[in-house]
Amino acid sequence: MIIEPVDCVVKAPVSLQIGDSIRPGVYVIDINFPNGQAVKIQEIQFKNYYTAFLTVRVLKMEDPGHDSTVKWVTALRDLQLMPNPHSEAGSQDYFAVHKHQMLVEMNDVSTIRLILRQPSAAWLNFTIDEIKIYKCLKEESEIDVPNWLSNLTPVEESSDLQGLPDPENVSSSIQQMWALTEIMQSNRTTVSIGRFDVKGCYEINLLSYS
Amino acid sequence: MAEKRRSGLPATAESKPGRGDSDEELLCHAGVGALLRAALLKLVETRPEDPLGFLAEHFGNAASAPGNGPSAGGDGDAEQQQLGRALWHLSLAHHSQRSAFNSNTRMAYDLLMQGSPRHRGPGGVRGRVYTELLRGLCTEGGLSDAAAAPLLRRLHCHDHEAVPFDLFRQAALTCVVFADYVRKSQGLYAAVSCHPERPAKRVLCQAVLGTLREALETSGDSARYLEASAKISPCKVAQAMAEACSRDKGGARATMDAQEFEDAAAELFLARVRVVC
Repeated sequence: MIIEPVDCVVKAPVSLQIGDSIRPGVYVIDINFPNGQAVKIQEIQFKNYYTAFLTVRVLKMEDPGHDSTVKWVTALRDLQLMPNPHSEAGSQDYFAVHKHQMLVEMNDVSTIRLILRQPSAAWLNFTIDEIKIYKCLKEESEIDVPNWLSNLTPVEESSDLQGLPDPENVSSSIQQMWALTEIMQSNRTTVSIGRFDVKGCYEINLLSYS
Repeated sequence: MAEKRRSGLPATAESKPGRGDSDEELLCHAGVGALLRAALLKLVETRPEDPLGFLAEHFGNAASAPGNGPSAGGDGDAEQQQLGRALWHLSLAHHSQRSAFNSNTRMAYDLLMQGSPRHRGPGGVRGRVYTELLRGLCTEGGLSDAAAAPLLRRLHCHDHEAVPFDLFRQAALTCVVFADYVRKSQGLYAAVSCHPERPAKRVLCQAVLGTLREALETSGDSARYLEASAKISPCKVAQAMAEACSRDKGGARATMDAQEFEDAAAELFLARVRVVC
């Protein structure tokens, strides 16, 4: 089964700088969901491009029914994507962050903020690409098994059938009688004879003057 | 020589086939081809055990149909003849052969509509003729008057009312199905009693009728057929009978006779027959 990622709007990375450094070391990427929907997140997948550390903050709706109380919480703090920020290892790998790795429950998330850090000055640019967000699939609701279905396997026949009529014959006759009744019932027509009297007396409302 | 004679009598050649006309023209004029074709089709459809008798009845009915030959006797006789013919049509196919049964019902209905104006009303067949026909169907199906009476009460139409085709078909089907049902209930009683001479035990009869009632009362969507058939499977029936016997050790001598059983079974069927209104 192919699960499609949730539609999301990934904003352009915003750099955070103090003063006039040559190159920013922190980028922030915000991800919104269209129509303002709140999503229950299962997994975030992305392709790294020379980002060393990733922090994930989410904006959660406390009460989906009310339009107030939104809270920013940190879901993932400084996940190390590159073992050595100055080396190539892990610089262009694919990563997947599952909800179990998160610090908080990823229910009713309206915005995700990815904070990318790259302390090394060796790289001209860093970012993450191909961000895909997958939401939780619905749990299968338990289907009630009807009683009669669970009773279909024949019970062990007790030896008390001595002197009783042959159940095969009896059952066969009953089945035919049941089938005949069903035939009669299923061929009922709704056509009426259009009687004017109800139980022998005329129903005033059914009589007409014309 | 035949040709010469024919050319000498041009005026009368079209009116009546003379002795000299060719065989094809004779058959064509009398419509014999169509007659035989209809008879053979009916024979193939019905597959009677006595083909000769069937063909004799078929041609007899066709000959005495109104407009085909001299009418016999007065109106009363004609009505009886119509009824007889309609009943004959309805007996040709068993109700399980649904399309044949439906077409025979249509033919019977049209036959009754063709009769004298006293037999039909503006909307259909007269109630009196309809009731007579149903009574005839029940008798032919082997039902006694007492057994058929409750069914006829539910399907009854007043004498002056006009019965439309759908109602006619439903009632005819109900009568033949009920006749089969009663026959099956007699077979069921024989199976429950285990012995043709001795009556069946009351508790067993009640258990058996109870399982049938439960199956009939199963409601729901399309899965109810599966559910109902699970209730009347052989092991369920055996279980019900064994439980009934073990519950009633003391009154094991009480019996139910065949007529009471048949009436109780018929009641289950009749309760589901729609009253004509």
